[in-house]
Amino acid sequence: MAIQNDFPILQRQVNGHRLIYLDNAATTQKPSVVIDAMNEYYTKHNANVHRAVHTLAGEATDGYEACRTTLKSWFNAERCILTSGTTEAINLAAHAWGHSQLNGRAIVLTEMEHHSDIVPWQMLSESLGNELRYVPVKPDLTLDMEALEASIEGAGLVCVVHTSNVLGVRNPIEEIIRIAHDNGAKVLLDAAQGAPHCQINMAELGADMMALSAHKMCGPTGVGCLLVNEETFQEMQPFMGGGDMIETVTLEGSTYQTNEHRFEAGTPRIAEAIGWNAALAYLGQLDLKKHHKRLLGIARHVASELRSLGMTVYGRHDDNDSSVVSFLHPTLHSEDFAHLLDARGVAVRTGHHCAQPLLNRLGISGTVRASFYIYNTMEDAVEFLNHVRDILERFA
Amino acid sequence: MTYPEQLVELIEEFQAIDDQMERLEYVFDLASEVNELAADRWTDETRIRGCQSEAHVHVDIDDSTVRIYSGADSKLVQGLMGILTIAIDQQPVEIALSLTPEFAVEMGILNSLSPSRSNGFRNMFDKVMRDLKEEE
Repeated sequence: MAIQNDFPILQRQVNGHRLIYLDNAATTQKPSVVIDAMNEYYTKHNANVHRAVHTLAGEATDGYEACRTTLKSWFNAERCILTSGTTEAINLAAHAWGHSQLNGRAIVLTEMEHHSDIVPWQMLSESLGNELRYVPVKPDLTLDMEALEASIEGAGLVCVVHTSNVLGVRNPIEEIIRIAHDNGAKVLLDAAQGAPHCQINMAELGADMMALSAHKMCGPTGVGCLLVNEETFQEMQPFMGGGDMIETVTLEGSTYQTNEHRFEAGTPRIAEAIGWNAALAYLGQLDLKKHHKRLLGIARHVASELRSLGMTVYGRHDDNDSSVVSFLHPTLHSEDFAHLLDARGVAVRTGHHCAQPLLNRLGISGTVRASFYIYNTMEDAVEFLNHVRDILERFA
Repeated sequence: MTYPEQLVELIEEFQAIDDQMERLEYVFDLASEVNELAADRWTDETRIRGCQSEAHVHVDIDDSTVRIYSGADSKLVQGLMGILTIAIDQQPVEIALSLTPEFAVEMGILNSLSPSRSNGFRNMFDKVMRDLKEEE
């Protein structure tokens, strides 16, 4: 049975045309099993987690904690703190780990980072005075590794995006981790784009922290996680105070939980975690490697056709890169392009993609980005390209 | 409210278009209706804030009538400027100032656009009205 049938939204029409959804790097669509799991939670098991002794609370707790267990196993991670998404996960790392561990130490970032992996560190730096060092992106759209090596001395942390949301470029994470660790720095991976496309083994990579979101891998919005190795976890200090993260509270002071709950103050995203667990189960039964290869083939075809139509394509589409195609027409504004595509039922992204430093480096203010995921087919790509040709004929 | 004749015609033309693509195509065509504000005259003062693209507008009052000059790096945005030009250029100031963005809603163009573009149009409209009041 075709995978597309698992995603109810793909059956709808947009502006009188079949929906061709190519905005997967922003968020992916949800299969019925995810929607059903969340629906079932609210219709049969809804309760607050952890402390109550009644049956519903036990079921809700089991559902919520099952997501954590799956994530640890999926990414081979020692600790998993559930957050609202990648952004909150990185902010958590900055506050809970950075504040106590980075005093006076430099932070190495790259020009390829999403704003969510730049701004929290800029804010930390404003407060602690950390020096921020940015690794440039070379004209071939890869990180300048010599510059990374030159900037590592005295750094306490290297923050690097696993796979660029604009370029689809998968960075040499293994080498970056080696350089960082050799110089006494920890590594935080922004895996929001990488995690949906490949199986990341955190322990094997040796990353210290890794942030990701559910919604980019068929899960719901509003949930993500910060995966942390044990050593780093033990260095983290509580960030948000409140219910669930405490052990005891007296008027004189409080003591805190010692497990991941220590960083999950308040009622967590229970339905969302249950939905994410269902998404992981769904993805787990697919051959993601095979899909990755297939989607990369589609991305390469689209990139090549767009180039032949006079577009500049920003990406290289190597074997480990993601199936993202960012492009720009010499005269037709990216926002106009997206409007015209939307009128034909094609959903793409435009603008700076929350990566303004990277676009500044490329000397542009925005691109059109078509990003492919497991339910996209070559037929989608061919239809998309036909619409592009037609738009160019009529408007360029 | 009562609109200037040329604006009534434009609203009717847009209302007669059912197809989203044709509607966008027409907005694109109207990009040529602007009195061009050349890129070398784009300044921070002419810039329309809150617009996703570079969009600039300058208004003058010439013998109690409005003159509007504009330009954008997006043809669609310039088309929206063209609509505003048809609506108020060479109209008496008091007629221009009596307009609200409601005419664009009646045309059906604001709901054809993304929220950011539709907000961009409102920002453009607000800036023109603000500048006109200052010029008055």
